[in-house]
Amino acid sequence: MLENTETVTRPKARASGETWRALAPAIAIALVGAAVIGIGPYVLDSYSLSVLTRSLLYAAVALTVDLLWGYMGILTFGQSAFFAAGAYAAGLIFSHVGFSPATAPLALVGGVVVALVLAGIVGWLAFWHGATNLYASVITLVLPIVCTQLIFSGGNFTGSSSGLSGFESFDLSMEAWFWLSGSFLTAITAMAWLLVNSDAGRVLVAIRENEQRCQYLGIDTPRVKTLIFLLCAVIGAIAGYIFAGYAMVVSPELAGFVFGTELVIWTALGGRATLIGPVLGTLLVDYESAQLSGDYPFVWKLIIGSAFVLVIVAFPRGLLPLVSGAASRIGRHVLPGGTGERAVSVPRLLALPVSDAQGTEAGSGPALKVSGVRKSFGSLTVLDGIDFRAHAGELVSLVGPNGAGKTTLMRCIADGTERTSGEVVVNGHDLGRATPERCVALGVGRKFQTANVFDTLTVAECLRLARSRHERPSLWRRRDVLHLPEASLHVVRVTGLASRLGEEARLLSHGLKQALELAMVLALEPRVVLLDEPTAGLTKAERTQIGSILTDIVRTRGLCVLLVEHDLGFVREISSRVIVLHQGRILLDGSVDDVVSSELVASVYTGAVNLEHTA
Amino acid sequence: MVAQFLDIITTAAFLYVVSSGLLLVFGVMKIINFAHGAMLTLGGYAALLCTKAGLNPWLGLPLAALIGGLAGILVERLAVRPLYARPLDAILATWGLGIVIGQLITLYFGRGVQFAEAPLTGTVNVLGESYSIYRLSVVAVAAALGGVLTLILRGTRLGLETRAVIMNEDLARGLGINSRLVRFLTFTLGSALAGIAGMLITPISSIDPNMGVPWLVNAFMLVLVSGHSLTTLVVSCLVLGGAQVLVSAYVNPILGGLTIAVLAAIILRIRPEGFARA
Repeated sequence: MLENTETVTRPKARASGETWRALAPAIAIALVGAAVIGIGPYVLDSYSLSVLTRSLLYAAVALTVDLLWGYMGILTFGQSAFFAAGAYAAGLIFSHVGFSPATAPLALVGGVVVALVLAGIVGWLAFWHGATNLYASVITLVLPIVCTQLIFSGGNFTGSSSGLSGFESFDLSMEAWFWLSGSFLTAITAMAWLLVNSDAGRVLVAIRENEQRCQYLGIDTPRVKTLIFLLCAVIGAIAGYIFAGYAMVVSPELAGFVFGTELVIWTALGGRATLIGPVLGTLLVDYESAQLSGDYPFVWKLIIGSAFVLVIVAFPRGLLPLVSGAASRIGRHVLPGGTGERAVSVPRLLALPVSDAQGTEAGSGPALKVSGVRKSFGSLTVLDGIDFRAHAGELVSLVGPNGAGKTTLMRCIADGTERTSGEVVVNGHDLGRATPERCVALGVGRKFQTANVFDTLTVAECLRLARSRHERPSLWRRRDVLHLPEASLHVVRVTGLASRLGEEARLLSHGLKQALELAMVLALEPRVVLLDEPTAGLTKAERTQIGSILTDIVRTRGLCVLLVEHDLGFVREISSRVIVLHQGRILLDGSVDDVVSSELVASVYTGAVNLEHTA
Repeated sequence: MVAQFLDIITTAAFLYVVSSGLLLVFGVMKIINFAHGAMLTLGGYAALLCTKAGLNPWLGLPLAALIGGLAGILVERLAVRPLYARPLDAILATWGLGIVIGQLITLYFGRGVQFAEAPLTGTVNVLGESYSIYRLSVVAVAAALGGVLTLILRGTRLGLETRAVIMNEDLARGLGINSRLVRFLTFTLGSALAGIAGMLITPISSIDPNMGVPWLVNAFMLVLVSGHSLTTLVVSCLVLGGAQVLVSAYVNPILGGLTIAVLAAIILRIRPEGFARA
């Protein structure tokens, strides 16, 4: 409570701290970029200036490859198509309608709209629940091939294989085009920097690291991916539009698969997930290509191809981290004390005010009603006729020998697409065929069997992700405070996670990872919590601690917990009811004493009973 | 009618030959070999070497298999094996090696378009329609390849071990199967098949350093809709290859070239398992 009052009295100071910390690096990028771009025309000869103007625009597109592939894990070969959409919109309108102050903005809007439509189609095809990354990559590969063929089939309208040229365009000097392209790239880079370093940027990385966990935290990952893809399409289209205005020629190669893969090569060489790396990689390689490819075209491509393979195999993070790593090592020798590592800011934990709690209201009926649930793989049925109810304030343990179908049942409750048939109702809401993220919204939280957290994110970031469904992450800064519901906060404090908020989750012990995942699930404010062996691999002390946390939250928060557990002693201590599963059916549903004293259950565990004989 | 029917059958045969090697690699390693296009190109140049040396064009077949297989060994060692844990990077590395192979070919042979002697020329009368003997012979070659591959997979110990690795690699390793060897042999075999395919397509396509690329994307899509089964691949080649022939004939040849990629993408969106049985 003390902490709560503190935040009320000092909101302004906190906000300006957040703002300044977020904006300072972006402003630095903008200033450095502006300075370099500003003096460029005074130190470069006109040939270099002309080549670099093109390279600056390519770099902006490479930046979108970095956002999609480096940060979010979607390897895309198709960003060239969006560049071409912007370029051809300008080329087509300026050729066929003519250039005027009215058609110039029209062409820009047209290019952006075409790019958005293309990106929307690709998003629909490539990003859906269950689609693999490989599949998405292949779809992005089809995109430039389709676009190139469409341009080819356009005859005189699109200029077919020779493209369009000789159209009128903005009357700007060479220097002005360079400044325009450079400012565009600088602005895009600074904004991308803000995004990837913000709380929302952590969502992108989380999708790359562990998309499944994201979905079970209620994050609609196909939607996030599509949104970022649309954003990148717009950036590509604007870059293409500027390119057409400056070059006054557009050709089908702009949409092509070769350009699309070159963007990936530049990004990989420069350093994926660094933003600056792909920009520098593009500028260097494209500029050098223009210098060298005239004299040694094939050898140059051979060198780039070999360097690309070498970087992918041996230095997957690219050349920028390699160079800056070496520089900071030297720096450390010269200036003892500098660690070269960025200080991680740790947010302060606060209890979510009860009035802000948004968990679905407890209905009057059972918290969880499972009826006739069946799951089969082809002719093999692993769950059949599962019927039971569980109420708020109940801790129901699900026991049974290996292969009884316990984890499958958990999956069938938390993901509507998994069920073969049957109905699951949570809090009066029929889950139907809902995807995991929809199930989360209806009040289901699921903890996996093996600790399933985001390895490269900090403890605080993992917890914030779990809250992102309720509190939309900021698109440009990192919040100083983290509001958690009481149950989640309780776990974080009792287990000692609170003192390790700034550490990466992969550095935690197995027990703390389990606790972190539990805290993340509770942060979702679920009504029904599915816990799959939350104490597997824990020490006796840790297990006792988790046990008392569970009984506590069930009693005080009115949650309904369904727990898969093998340790019958532990089950006996904490459960209010036990369900025994055997060979995909419910064998017994009763009190702890019923089950413990049941001879049937004992013989199932010792393997003496086969259900076919008893039924 | 007859000509169109034969076009569909022969197109499917070409597609089958081009994608079967890719499918084997995809099945065992769960990655798409982006160097497949470069290996097709190598096969094409093997045919060119035969023509230049004045040999029987059919000798191009073993030569293409040898060159493709050797390239496969190289790619597997350099790019695929070290990136086992990073499948998307493995794809990129195979693509990079494909570029390297393409540039080496360009440096040696030049970038110009060249032609090789076809193994068979002339036409034969089929139900009153004269049709290319060569195209028909490729149907026989495709059927023979499919037969041999099925025999290897179904009838030999290596085939059994390969199928075990496809189903569950960890379990297979636990049973003492050398999955690393299986992966190596599969990749080499898949690359040799790509070489053969490259040689076989030379009479209907020109020989140039980028000749593999247009086939590559169609092969990707066919493999993705076929899953891991060589039998399903026959179905995919017939259905999608047939659609390509019909669209090229009745709509427009350029759109025909896109038919396989676009249809496959839509099929996978609606039915993720493609033509494979669920």
